[in-house]
Amino acid sequence: MEMKDFIEHFVEQFDETPSVEVSPQTHHHEMDEWSSMIALSVMAMIDEEYDVQIKADEMRNSKTVQDLYDIVQSYLNK
Amino acid sequence: MLQLEGKHILVTGASSGMGRVFCQMIAKEGARVSLLARNEDRLKETLALMGGEGHKYYICDLTDEEQLKATVSTLEALDGVVFCAGINDFVPLKFVKQEKLERIFQTNYFSQVILTQMLVKKKLIKRNASLVYISSLSSKLGVAGTLLYASSKAALNSAVRVIATEMAPLGIRANAICPGIVQTEMLGSTNIDEESFTKQAVDYPLGLGTPEDVGNAVLYHLSDGSRWLTGNCMVIDGGYSLK
Ligand SMILES: NC(=O)c1ccc[n+]([C@@H]2O[C@H](COP(=O)([O-])OP(=O)(O)OC[C@H]3O[C@@H](n4cnc5c(N)ncnc54)[C@H](OP(=O)(O)O)[C@@H]3O)[C@@H](O)[C@H]2O)c1
Repeated sequence: MEMKDFIEHFVEQFDETPSVEVSPQTHHHEMDEWSSMIALSVMAMIDEEYDVQIKADEMRNSKTVQDLYDIVQSYLNK
Repeated sequence: MLQLEGKHILVTGASSGMGRVFCQMIAKEGARVSLLARNEDRLKETLALMGGEGHKYYICDLTDEEQLKATVSTLEALDGVVFCAGINDFVPLKFVKQEKLERIFQTNYFSQVILTQMLVKKKLIKRNASLVYISSLSSKLGVAGTLLYASSKAALNSAVRVIATEMAPLGIRANAICPGIVQTEMLGSTNIDEESFTKQAVDYPLGLGTPEDVGNAVLYHLSDGSRWLTGNCMVIDGGYSLK
């Protein structure tokens, strides 16, 4: 799993946010476009792309894109 | 006299959440309960919580036709069935796939219809019995992310009306109950977290529901007191729909 691809998939879930605005340090909960629907989409994307089912509280407790990436990575390492 | 004295009731989804509480409430009203679900340990836990006598549990995956057949062949005649087994999966439209549709419809719709069909064909549903299907308020709304779940429950609502018509000559009744959000294990297992459910509580004039709130409606549906009720879909949602 590459961070670059992860961000690309992540950004695909948004309608307006351009990919230049998202980095591993981005606090996703603070993004303008962030919503519960986007959170659901990100979880569905992670399921589809990485075959990982992250839990709702993991989604909520992750602050940055890096955190999310690390969660997915930890499942992949299991 | 107890409301369900002498009756024999089958409850699917008896190993958790609402199904578990329904079993306890039904037993308390004097009925003998047959419990059905996949997880034996959790079925036993339910059994241990129940009063009364003569209850039995059946380990069965409703989506497996062979297991279903085997279970139905050992069941005794029924005065009522509560179809409570169900699953949920919140997925936005753009991630909907045939496979996901099939999975949710297997459990929430196909298996409900097939189980009913088998019970009827085998004449295991007694005259004047009551069939109670636990649907969901989601089937009447359009909440984002609920496409799979809501449409599986809407299909169930339609089936219930047809079943009601076909079974009426035998005095057998079929009704759906559509609860709003009820605090059960299901909420924990979905991909929507508890916090967002708690946030939704503000939209419920009477607060979120408990399994007992729905259980009281189930008892009414199973009792002879509801003998003139069929093909109905009862919304029970603490006033959520008023908004
Ligand atoms: N909670 C809510 O807010 C809410 C609101 C409206 C409607 N509902 C509906 O109410 C019903 C009960 O929900 P709940 O919240 O009590 O859920 P729950 O705690 O997750 O329980 C679901 C039950 O269904 C059983 N089940 C699932 N798949 C099965 C299968 N293939 N074969 C046999 N049994 C199966 C499970 O048992 P095993 O895992 O042991 O098989 C479990 O006992 C569901 O139909 C749900 O859609 C819930």
